[in-house]
Amino acid sequence: MARDRAQHGDYSGPIKRLLIGFLLLCLVGFFLVWRIDSPRVERFRAQVIDRVVPSFDWAMAPVTGAVNILRDFQSYQRIYQQNQDLRRELQQMKAWKEAALQLEQENARLLDLNNVQLDPRLTYVTGVVLADSGSPFRQSVLINVGARDGIIDGWATMDGLGLVGRISGVGDNTARVILLTDTSSRIPATIQPSGQQALIIGDNTAVPLIDFLELPDQVRPGDRVLTSGDGGVFPAGLLIGQVAQDPGGRLRVRLSADYERLEFLRVLRNRGTEKLTDPGSLIGPAEPDLPLQGPPSPFESSEAADG
Amino acid sequence: MVENAAVHMWAMRVIYVALVFLVIFFHLLPLQTLPLGWAGPDILLALTTAWVLRRPEFVPPVLIALVFLLCDLMFHRPPGLWAALVLIGCETLRARHIDLRDLTFAMEWASVTTTLVTITLVYRAVLAVLVVDQAPLGLSLMQLVATLIAYPLVVVVSQTVFGVRKLAPGDIDALGGRT
Repeated sequence: MARDRAQHGDYSGPIKRLLIGFLLLCLVGFFLVWRIDSPRVERFRAQVIDRVVPSFDWAMAPVTGAVNILRDFQSYQRIYQQNQDLRRELQQMKAWKEAALQLEQENARLLDLNNVQLDPRLTYVTGVVLADSGSPFRQSVLINVGARDGIIDGWATMDGLGLVGRISGVGDNTARVILLTDTSSRIPATIQPSGQQALIIGDNTAVPLIDFLELPDQVRPGDRVLTSGDGGVFPAGLLIGQVAQDPGGRLRVRLSADYERLEFLRVLRNRGTEKLTDPGSLIGPAEPDLPLQGPPSPFESSEAADG
Repeated sequence: MVENAAVHMWAMRVIYVALVFLVIFFHLLPLQTLPLGWAGPDILLALTTAWVLRRPEFVPPVLIALVFLLCDLMFHRPPGLWAALVLIGCETLRARHIDLRDLTFAMEWASVTTTLVTITLVYRAVLAVLVVDQAPLGLSLMQLVATLIAYPLVVVVSQTVFGVRKLAPGDIDALGGRT
């Protein structure tokens, strides 16, 4: 019996080594394929997640709920103080509400005067956060809308107030949102009121870095940071947050979105702005060898200028 | 007796997979969406190395490769590389498990430490060479240290709750004779 096993072991040794070598080859090969052709493998990853995570969903929601209830229960201990804080905030909010109402009326009047058409295509899909990235090194969440709901890679994601991140990886029923705090997140932004262009760079902290500022002197803590729409990835003018300065003197963004509790996220549908790919037909003369196409070219140019 | 041993082995493999899914599940719960600034232990790695050193037949190489590949995919890591390194680390430990069986726990802990430090360094080196974005160095060192600190705890839990302990010389279902 024991000898049987020993012999079996003798034979299985090389086979086992072969198997391990084969496994290693597969894994390393997979990694290299990912390095060379990332989008294809990332699509595969999205499909795997799409298959696995929804099967956890039935348990995830109750467990998350239970833990949150426990946390809320802890907050009952501070209920009196919270009440006081809330009253004070309510007072401030009333003042702001008054200001907002006046501004809204003024805005409506001005819009009416201008006869402005707001972009009707900027609508949104709302999704629920299913899971987070599961690792302390990556900052992303998984939401329960995907290709089935028409989600496309690169769309902006917001909570009620501010930008949260962008879609990266779409499965059939799920999509991954890379948060602004992730180390791979780079968002072109405008800082108001100075109008400076900058990049918002995630660095795995709650307050992303502001970099590539042209004139940092013109930017003060408290300035508003909006998306600039550069690169055509995001629509322009989405609120990101406010400028803040860290103890080291570097400029950072205090995000407007409530990152403590990301629960419902809005994915903005963005079909992209139309691009002027052919500047020659705008200002150049009509081509001489195609006389039939001569007349339409000024017409096209006026259309392009409208759009 | 052999049947019993086989059934037991397959049962433990199923338990291993169940534990893996449990850990993944708790990692994925969306409880904390703010960046933490610290990193907890990699429980799966500690569990796998502890089981490899105690009962290598419960965690065959194919299972290790599949589990860590799944984790790579789920946790948004570069897929395949970490799984390959963990497999290499576990196989070196597996080759030494007979020698380590007779030594003290401190020796075992030391060899686990060297293995994990090596694979972490190689991982970061390969990512740096291939110019892949990687986690901050401090954070991954913190995770490494946390994993090593958690290792004895994982060992104790595996031994008491799941009965995964080293084979004593007189055990019946020892797949003895293997070197």
